[in-house]
Amino acid sequence: MAVFPSLDWFQKVRDVYNSDGSLHKGGGGACHTTAAFKVDGQSYLIVFEGLKCADIRTPTEGELNDADFVIEMPFDLWKAMVANVQSHGKADLQYTLNSIDLQQEEGIAYSPADDQYRQDLFYRYNQNFQDFFDASARVETTFA
Amino acid sequence: MATKASQGMAVPAAMPDAGGAHGVEGVPVPSFEWMGLSAEWGVRVKPGEHGIRLSDLNVGIYGEVPEVWDDQTRRPRGALPRPGVPPLPYNLRNKHQMWADSAANLYEEAIQRRWIPATEVPWDSLKPLPDDVERAVCQVCTELTQYANTEIEIITYWQDQMSYGYYEVKQFLATATFDCARLIEALRKRALSNGGGLGQESRGLVNRMILESRGGWTESAVYLYLVRGTYMMQVLRGLLNAAHNDAERMIYGKAIEDWSRHLTYGYDHIKYSVSHQAGQADILQTLLSLGEVMMAAELQESTMRPALAIIFGGGIKGGRTIGMETYLHLVGEFVRNYLATCEWIGVPRAEMLHPMLKKYLEY
Repeated sequence: MAVFPSLDWFQKVRDVYNSDGSLHKGGGGACHTTAAFKVDGQSYLIVFEGLKCADIRTPTEGELNDADFVIEMPFDLWKAMVANVQSHGKADLQYTLNSIDLQQEEGIAYSPADDQYRQDLFYRYNQNFQDFFDASARVETTFA
Repeated sequence: MATKASQGMAVPAAMPDAGGAHGVEGVPVPSFEWMGLSAEWGVRVKPGEHGIRLSDLNVGIYGEVPEVWDDQTRRPRGALPRPGVPPLPYNLRNKHQMWADSAANLYEEAIQRRWIPATEVPWDSLKPLPDDVERAVCQVCTELTQYANTEIEIITYWQDQMSYGYYEVKQFLATATFDCARLIEALRKRALSNGGGLGQESRGLVNRMILESRGGWTESAVYLYLVRGTYMMQVLRGLLNAAHNDAERMIYGKAIEDWSRHLTYGYDHIKYSVSHQAGQADILQTLLSLGEVMMAAELQESTMRPALAIIFGGGIKGGRTIGMETYLHLVGEFVRNYLATCEWIGVPRAEMLHPMLKKYLEY
């Protein structure tokens, strides 16, 4: 059983996501971006290349600053989102990245370089990222 | 002589000796003088990790994107000019009038991320909705359709006048019009497939403002993308958040991705225009002062307001409370995003924001 949050958990999600094209229905299309997730003091760098999640790893500070955008939210919200995906097979409408971003005062995605062009990638590839997290429904999960 | 069969006749192949002793009687002798005519020959662009992308082709003279493109013909950039070709009315011949560095890659992305409403939207997920909600959804579909057909009309108006020196932009805008056509298709299908129908047409204040912007493509882009587009993105995000079924979820989710490309191009172009044309920032300040008035009036009067409130509130009753609060917050987010984008572009509006838009910052 994989523990959320951990590199092991994210890598298991990547493996599920990459192994089944039917999980890409929402995004449907090539995605080229390097983004980061910040969860409970830990950071994870995710690299999308084409139709695959090419890599997910712990970033250096330089890599983190160079990410196109970062998704950051309180741990309880991450946990609720992942638990919701686990319960429903995919995020229901209150727990999509889009919904959570709308609900948070400052949003959850930002560009470390304060570059509007790169921050817009969060919207351009929003469904790819949603597909990625929805794939976590197939990863047996426990929470730290 | 090499020949190939075609409907039982021997047809000369296009080979340099085709006009020789064995030419077909009555057929003019072809000239191959054009074969030696090229501005740059021997180019071999290799596919990279992502294949051969439009931006990969910018090598040698083919990658020279001048500040001014004087040629008023349809000559592709890098092709050899032909003397005697009459000029056409390509009135936008300055790079700052349309350029965005992102255009080539956005074109590639649009081509790769296409979707098919007919078969990919899970239409069987539609279920009957309460009458007031169905009517609100259909009204929103009607008005968003008009947003999209306005975008098609204004892009095609200006695209006609954009010179071929900046073909990447013309290519991208072609995909943007197709995105609009696809959204119109998807919204119409949604409105006509769940017991409702189209609602009433929009008064169209901002549509008219966009369509009547004749000072140049940049002016249109300011109204189309910076003002209307920023609002539309927020509407689409709100609709995704309140989707009633997987069909709506897919339509709004894909529309957000499509419109994000439009906004990326629009913002990128406006920023380029401001940073490459003296006095442009002041002009945009004036345009935005006018545009904010129209946008504020439309926000006040449009049937989008009650329709969205009903959707967000789950009906008329909820629309009067939580639905309207959600709507007002959505507009507040639009204004905040608009101000942030204006700042990023180099045309700060916070101090001069029209009071009728400013009031939404409370929400």
